[in-house]
Amino acid sequence: MDPVITLNAVDYAIIGGYILVMILVGYSLKKYMKTGEDFFLSGRSLPGWITGLAFLSANLGALEVIGMVANSAKYGIATIHFYWVGAIPAMVFLGIFMMPFYYGSRVRTVPEYLKLRYNEATRGLNAISFAIMTVLMSGISLYAMALLFKLMLGWSLTGSILFGAVVVLLYVFWGGLSSSIYNEVIQFFLIWLGLLPIVFLGLKEVGGFAGFVAKLKEPLLHSAKYLGTSANPLGVDWFGVVMGLGFVLSFGYWTTDFLVVQRALASKNINAARMTPIIAAFPKMLVPIIVVIPGLVALLVLPEFSQAALPTADYNSALILLMKHYLPNGLLGLAITALLASFMSGMAGNVTAFNTIWTYDIYGSYIKKGKSDSHYLRVGKYATVFGVAISVGTAYIVQSFPNIMDYMQLVFSFFNAPLFATFLLGMFWAGATGWGGFFGLLVGILTAAVHYLLYRLGVLHYASDMAANFYQAWWAWLADFVVTIGVSLFTAKRKPEELAGLVFGLTPKTKAAARWLARPAVWGILAIVIAIVLNIIFW
Amino acid sequence: MNEKIEMKDQETGMGQGHVLDLKLPIGWLLSAYGVLLGIYGLVTKKEMYAKSLGFNLNVVWGALMLAIGAGFLLAAFLKKDKAGR
Repeated sequence: MDPVITLNAVDYAIIGGYILVMILVGYSLKKYMKTGEDFFLSGRSLPGWITGLAFLSANLGALEVIGMVANSAKYGIATIHFYWVGAIPAMVFLGIFMMPFYYGSRVRTVPEYLKLRYNEATRGLNAISFAIMTVLMSGISLYAMALLFKLMLGWSLTGSILFGAVVVLLYVFWGGLSSSIYNEVIQFFLIWLGLLPIVFLGLKEVGGFAGFVAKLKEPLLHSAKYLGTSANPLGVDWFGVVMGLGFVLSFGYWTTDFLVVQRALASKNINAARMTPIIAAFPKMLVPIIVVIPGLVALLVLPEFSQAALPTADYNSALILLMKHYLPNGLLGLAITALLASFMSGMAGNVTAFNTIWTYDIYGSYIKKGKSDSHYLRVGKYATVFGVAISVGTAYIVQSFPNIMDYMQLVFSFFNAPLFATFLLGMFWAGATGWGGFFGLLVGILTAAVHYLLYRLGVLHYASDMAANFYQAWWAWLADFVVTIGVSLFTAKRKPEELAGLVFGLTPKTKAAARWLARPAVWGILAIVIAIVLNIIFW
Repeated sequence: MNEKIEMKDQETGMGQGHVLDLKLPIGWLLSAYGVLLGIYGLVTKKEMYAKSLGFNLNVVWGALMLAIGAGFLLAAFLKKDKAGR
């Protein structure tokens, strides 16, 4: 099969320039990596704008972008729920209410917080499942990158996998979390610069928003008006969107996933840490511009998505086909570089989260306790090599059994949803006990698994897979919440003084920044207000 | 050179941070892309831009990227200058 896109020397020069800069940045960070905290947490030294953009980019991976363009072609404007309902409130909540406990307690990882607040068992459950998940995820994204480049550009699968792995290994090995974060910030600019030309040309060709209104079916143009009716393309009702997506899934992801929280922990002070997710919220609100508009344009201009072809259309190819349709060589290289950058930074993010959890929460807690800092720094560097090697192995396993990818992503979803209940109770209710936290989390994970089985076996019915997914998250969260409270009532409570700094009400209030313009709450409220207005406009 | 060592925030009272001023690599990369795309756009024929609706996007976008890149470089040098005094 011929590749879809043909690149020339200028395109390759652009791709090469990016790789070169990443390796140079990694190399120049090498000399700063003296302690474990330098390597794993960037020495807690970064300003808010850098950690904020990295916080956003860690989530803006290539699969996310390609998938959201596909969703927009499939479901229309309703895709904005993943942004204005499903992300902004959680990000603001993390910055205003939760970050004081994460950053203020000086924990280095999310599982470490669980240990301080609950007990060793809760930390073990979370640390081990998270470490396995992230390292496998990094293999999945490596494979996805190689497959995309093989189909679109004709690159060799093995070549892409090894090349991507070596570049990521080099700069993470040298620069640790700082390398990963810096790559994410560069990726942030590349994604916008690479994809905006498609947005402009697409809007120009279809005649702007008026063109969408004239040519697209009405339900594709509203985010909320058709929720819960049969015309609604998402197949999800109000409760599913608000509680499943907006509350459990998005709060679970944005507030407890170490991959994103680690960025905030790298901030130079508590105010920068609290501002991190809030700074990220503003560009996050704009991301629909580069995913929703291209998705809608694809429906109108690409023959692959014409009315006749729709039932069999492969929505995931929409973004790549648009690149081919609009971009001349030169800009094409830039757009491909943007995708490459987000694949690599996605993998680097997973690898840095893995080496930190492995070193602090598994190796340093269960295998060799109480060694020197330089010992753990070395372990972290080896863990990077080890993590990249497992990723490559995973990429090859996925290559032979492509369906494994779907199953793995599914299993991961079991772990993420209930965790938010554990954190919510842990941070805001002093009565939650160690074993309450552990059994709540365990039952929450099992509830997600059982719900999934019942849905697959046909015992439970939903209008769409997405609805099933949202409800699964909700029930898993509720099970965790109820069981944690239930078990806590019958187990021994911790003394209040042990919980100082970990629980709301037992922690001295963080001093608000003197200038009101520097206060997280001010910007957080502004973000929420803008998100509400945007939701109303596109209702 | 590229790196600039900043004192850590006084609140935390820790040692030196390792802040490589990220504005520099971003600025250089985007400027280089801008120059490359701009020159490439000037030497390529009009027919190539039929797909981009007749706009020579390499020139337009190259100029924009050069401007953004130069902005980052300027910000980095101004900051360095201020810190030097």
